[in-house]
Amino acid sequence: MFSENHYAPQRGRYDEAVAEDGTMRPAWSTLGATLRDLRPIDLLDQQRQTDRLLDAEGAGHLVHELPPDGTADAGVRAADSRPWRLDPIPMVIDHDEFRSLSHGVAQRVRLMEALLHDLYGERRLVSTGIVPASVLFSVGSLRTTMATHAPPRWVVNLAVDLVRTADGTWRVVQDLVDAPAGAGYALMNRSVVARVMPDAIRRAGAAPVNSFVAVMRRALAAQSPPGRRSPRTVVLTGGPTHGTYVEHSYLAMQMGYHLAEGGDLVVRKNRVWLRVLDGVEPVDVIYRRIEDAALDPLDARTVGGSGVPGITWAAQSGGVVLANAFGTRLAEERVLAPYLDAAARSLLGESLELRALADDEILASAPCLSSWTPGAVVPGTVVLRMHAAVTPDGITTMEGGVGRVLAPGDHPARPTAQLVKDVWVVGGVSATRLPARVAHPQVDFGGSVPKRVADALYWLGRSAERAEVAARTTRVIGSQLQQEPSLLSVGGGGWAAGAIALLRTAQALPVAVDGGPEDGPGALPFAERLQQELRGGQQAVAAQIASLAQEATTVREFLSTTTGRLLGRLTRVRSDLLAAESAPDDLDVVLVDLAALAGLSMESTVRGPAWRFLDLARRLERAIAVLGSIQAAAGPAVEQFAFQPLAESLLQVNESLVAYRRRYRSDVELGAVLDLLVHDDANPRSLAFQLDRLREHVASLAWQEGADLVHQASLGMLTHVDDTVAGGRRLGVDAMVLAARGPLLELGNAVVRRWFADPVNPMVMGSS
Amino acid sequence: MTTRFDVVHRTEYTYGLPMSDGYTVAHLLPRDTPTQRVVSAEIQVSPDPDEYEEHTDLFGNRVVRIGVHRPHGHLGVTGRCVVEVEPPARPEHVPAAGTSWDEVARQLVTAQGEIATTIGPFVAATAATPSIPELAVVTDDLFVPGRDLLDVVRALSSRIHAEFVFDPEFSDVSTPIAAVCAARRGVCQDFAHLMIACLRSHGLAARYVSGYLETFPPPGQPKLTGSDASHAWCSVWVPDLGWLDADPTNDQVPPQRHITVAWGRDYFDVTPVRGVVIGPAASQSLSVGVDVSGREIDAEP
Repeated sequence: MFSENHYAPQRGRYDEAVAEDGTMRPAWSTLGATLRDLRPIDLLDQQRQTDRLLDAEGAGHLVHELPPDGTADAGVRAADSRPWRLDPIPMVIDHDEFRSLSHGVAQRVRLMEALLHDLYGERRLVSTGIVPASVLFSVGSLRTTMATHAPPRWVVNLAVDLVRTADGTWRVVQDLVDAPAGAGYALMNRSVVARVMPDAIRRAGAAPVNSFVAVMRRALAAQSPPGRRSPRTVVLTGGPTHGTYVEHSYLAMQMGYHLAEGGDLVVRKNRVWLRVLDGVEPVDVIYRRIEDAALDPLDARTVGGSGVPGITWAAQSGGVVLANAFGTRLAEERVLAPYLDAAARSLLGESLELRALADDEILASAPCLSSWTPGAVVPGTVVLRMHAAVTPDGITTMEGGVGRVLAPGDHPARPTAQLVKDVWVVGGVSATRLPARVAHPQVDFGGSVPKRVADALYWLGRSAERAEVAARTTRVIGSQLQQEPSLLSVGGGGWAAGAIALLRTAQALPVAVDGGPEDGPGALPFAERLQQELRGGQQAVAAQIASLAQEATTVREFLSTTTGRLLGRLTRVRSDLLAAESAPDDLDVVLVDLAALAGLSMESTVRGPAWRFLDLARRLERAIAVLGSIQAAAGPAVEQFAFQPLAESLLQVNESLVAYRRRYRSDVELGAVLDLLVHDDANPRSLAFQLDRLREHVASLAWQEGADLVHQASLGMLTHVDDTVAGGRRLGVDAMVLAARGPLLELGNAVVRRWFADPVNPMVMGSS
Repeated sequence: MTTRFDVVHRTEYTYGLPMSDGYTVAHLLPRDTPTQRVVSAEIQVSPDPDEYEEHTDLFGNRVVRIGVHRPHGHLGVTGRCVVEVEPPARPEHVPAAGTSWDEVARQLVTAQGEIATTIGPFVAATAATPSIPELAVVTDDLFVPGRDLLDVVRALSSRIHAEFVFDPEFSDVSTPIAAVCAARRGVCQDFAHLMIACLRSHGLAARYVSGYLETFPPPGQPKLTGSDASHAWCSVWVPDLGWLDADPTNDQVPPQRHITVAWGRDYFDVTPVRGVVIGPAASQSLSVGVDVSGREIDAEP
């Protein structure tokens, strides 16, 4: 397919893969040989695989898109679920050519540093007439407070967009200095491509990109304020609604830093503190992914109230280092672009190695997978984003990057095609493979996580358990009814009333005395009411999955990739649940996935405080659910005919029917049922088992109020259940449930009050 | 006769629920100028702040950063100062610039060295002082080539004063000057921004001056506490003479009863009090009161 017959480069323009004489360029020869053996259908298959893998990294449903450009206003915006696709055909660049580009990019790092140093400092460029003051001071992104508080270093990382013109020369489209995006996407794309075409990548000898993680760590560690032992670095993100959130989360994970949202940080006495479960801990270096314009609501020219109030004060007084420094957006302003060449000559005594792209230049082409004809390879234009970081050993460039494909009519700074390429640098002897040594060790966080993370994991745990309860109850009652429709009339509707009560309890809806809905008891026949509640149960599952996914999105870096994949699948099943009248198979999928999720949280999570809140939430929710189901099914004093099937429902929704049968080999008896579901501390579904786990968690948190409430719930659990019946209810069951549930509900309130209640949203005050 | 002014500027925030952290930036401490000497100046904060730092900003103003890091239901920031101001300039003593406005604009375009770095910033249009077609309603016929710069400035000030209505209900700090031009009403900040925008759009250097103006009650009535207000006007750069003030709100050449606090490119460089709090969602109310009292004293001992 790479033969002249299949890929036809545009005549008269430089083509990345095919030379003017129609032969394959040397850098592409290995890849070309691989691709020549592939049929269109194979390419499509590879594209499907990359889609699936990107999805698992969270780039599909949890994520939005590669930002159209690096501008601040494009940064913060509503979550938009438009995923980007990864072209299985990479962009290949010869090592020697890439090295000269790297040299040019390194020069731009030096230029941007010198430019910011001068414009915020002496302003020699202004006094010598190179940059007019009227241009400089009309730029809204000139942060005047930085002119009196220069940082030790302005630029720690830089991205440059480059494009090749029709005559084969590279031009600069834009420099990204403020909060350059894309390095994480490059790593993510490479991890996907390496799985889809491992042989091709090895045969071509593409330089590895993941060493850039160590480079960035070294670059950031070197920025630490003097005298800090074991400096702590965090990645500061605008949160899941930020256009490049997925990358923030991915980078934080790869670099081993906490991902902090604005509300996780607080500034006091010119230091920045991370809000952790039991107070605050100092932060030394902030790899900021929030743009200048949204960083500090105290800055007079900041839009809205986002960001961390006072963070720029802390940086200006040297209490914390922002990488890149506040105010760096200035260097990427388009109105300054015309002066860059003169600035380079004046500040560096050099001419720019890489010239700016002119508006009317025609661009080169590269082979791209067609968006129109499935499996066809057509010429397209690719904008290359390169990344550089400043380490103590000098400026290091990532040997790779992201290639963004332009749609027809696109400006090279704002591609809209949503198609990206991995970038392979071939032909070199991977000289940049750095040992992963870091000058200063990162503090081990085993014990501390941002408070927000524990909060989100807690609600994730509760949603997961609620989803499971609703799914299992709906599935169990639905299948009982399907197998034995006559259950409806058993015991004068006793089973049906109990089943309705179970379903409503599982949806956290109020239950009337006869088991029906509160409004208009008996208004509908049992059969219709039961169907109604079964549909409601299915909707409740969908709703809980939505909150589960929402919480998970904010703590992506604390969940494994496998968890990401499960969440992706649950989110897709959710749409089916919403659409279908009855979806027993989907409920089964949900139950399996939730069980897998629970398993992962037990088996693949470091048991720090974050895990503790996740598990505490599950145990608490399960304890409340067990009691609710007991009240719904064992509270009403129904006839023995109806009790048998109802007690089976009760055991099944608590996944204990098999255990019961093995143990008792008899008809179902209330005393034995309660024994298994309440008191049996060997049954992982029993109340006693949940209380044991809760007791461990509150003890580990050294939390007296929590311990007292768990103790009260245990006392409530021991309430003697006698045989008294009044008003059709077993009073002993109701009394036990009330005595045990009260302290548990209070425990839920107390967790939030004690551990998560800190309000963190900044509010801008009126000005006089 | 020199006039000695006592100024008290109170800003009080009250919150519906206690806030955990509060951050405030204040431009409340006045600076010395060629016609003004600061005798004393201080800022009082209630509750006692956990942080209080002063520094000098890019334009030479005194800026104070205040932090309160414990629960507080109110925050009071009060600036007090005593300032001596030279006798008011009489209109007939304000000289002609001796240079036409267009010649000054030409000098500024090609300026290098100290003029470029210190005067140049005030030629720049900012978001609050944009160069927009709507300015024509004010500038029409004024900028005749060859006309003396100060003549243009005086005419501009008179025209804004004559054709615009002072209306505190019309605008707030975020009202763009395009809207001010369309409605022909606004407050002192708007008129200062408007006049600055007109001057800068013609290549001249103009800065925004933040301060106070002593006011007098109607004859026979006592002066009410807190009845004064912060005030704003503009200042234009004249070669060889330096910065000359113009107050378009009152069509005056300050200082008459004017006290200068700070200057910048526009209001946002020198907002008197700006704050952010962290806390629960709750109501907030703001009250501001300014008292200025002046008495004439003998010239400096």
